[in-house]
Amino acid sequence: MTFSLLHATDFADRLLYKIVPPLKAGMIVLADRYAYTAFARDATRGVDRQWVRELYSFAVRPDLALYFRVPIDVSVDRLMARRVKLKFYEAGMDLGWSTNPLESFRMFQGKVLDEYDQLVQEFGLEVVDAKGSITEQQRYVRTLVAQHVKTSQLEMIDDEPV
Amino acid sequence: MTSPSDPVDGLNGDGLAGRYYGRSIPYLPIQDYPGKLIAIEGTDGVGRTIQIQLLREWLEVKGYGVVETGWTRSPLMQPTIEIAKSSNTLNKLTFVLLYATDFADRLEKEIIPALKAGFVVLSDRYIFTALARAGVRGVDRQWLRNVYGFAIAPHLVFYLNIDVKTLIGRVLESRGMDFWESGMDLKHGDDIYDSFRAYQLKLLREYQSMADEFHFRVVDARRSIDRIQDELRRQVASFLEPAEKPAETALTR
Repeated sequence: MTFSLLHATDFADRLLYKIVPPLKAGMIVLADRYAYTAFARDATRGVDRQWVRELYSFAVRPDLALYFRVPIDVSVDRLMARRVKLKFYEAGMDLGWSTNPLESFRMFQGKVLDEYDQLVQEFGLEVVDAKGSITEQQRYVRTLVAQHVKTSQLEMIDDEPV
Repeated sequence: MTSPSDPVDGLNGDGLAGRYYGRSIPYLPIQDYPGKLIAIEGTDGVGRTIQIQLLREWLEVKGYGVVETGWTRSPLMQPTIEIAKSSNTLNKLTFVLLYATDFADRLEKEIIPALKAGFVVLSDRYIFTALARAGVRGVDRQWLRNVYGFAIAPHLVFYLNIDVKTLIGRVLESRGMDFWESGMDLKHGDDIYDSFRAYQLKLLREYQSMADEFHFRVVDARRSIDRIQDELRRQVASFLEPAEKPAETALTR
């Protein structure tokens, strides 16, 4: 619960200082992770799913939410290639499922991925296949964003004469 | 835990003593724990803390194990909350969430284990303080009740009721008015007296509006410390030992 609430506090702070003002100014805000991360992670830690959704009901609903989906093996391989040590909470070590960080990571993140799969339906997340190359992913992301920016009603800001 | 036949979303406080108000903490089932949770509520400076000290001594003499818990006292959150209060970046939402985190920590680490072990838990303030403060600051009341749905409904909630005039006298005689207790963040003006008065009036009204919803036992806190303590002891005794006649409730100090 404290894990969940601390993240919500951090999120509320960023929402009010970093997200809402640029939105009001008509800018595009790119958020690296959003409330969906909390929905997936907190549920995996045994927090009531509906409670977390209510907790985050103050969040702004994104115009577009992208979910980069990878199988757990790909995720593990990529992490192992870059660094040796897995972070304690990222590996879900706090849950005590395994004393081996890698095994714990697999179990925990595997469950987190299952939660994400449910969120795709519930919140209409756009799934990006993240197994592919960075270039492929980026091209796909650009088509998604382009469609969206075109169809949504972005306010054109007239330059006022100085 | 909330039973399936009980589709309560937020708090409602009716017949829930010792159970979660709303959505439970699924990994912490708490049914049938032997301990009792007693909350003493009331605004800043009303005299809660002294009443709790006296209650504690009395209960311990009677042989009860007593655990005290109080607002923002969690080891996890207290330093963070102090830092956040001293900076100027707190807003009403982060304020609520920091308090809720502190409460969750104390609930999991202090209150629930103590109830499980059969202690009487005396809570100096409870979630109603959070609901009142945030309510006054315009935070959505239903959202607040949902967030605090993981709180355990106390067996007894005593609300120390006072009028703002008596309160002002009491606060000035003891430690004076402080920035937050005067609601200076609400920017009612630079005058701390006026701000304190306006803020506390709103706060008292907010507490008052929760009295029925959460089954407050309203205690007249304008009286002397001893008189208030007598009443608390009488009510606590008849709750903890309904068979016994509450004979020895007179002050022993």
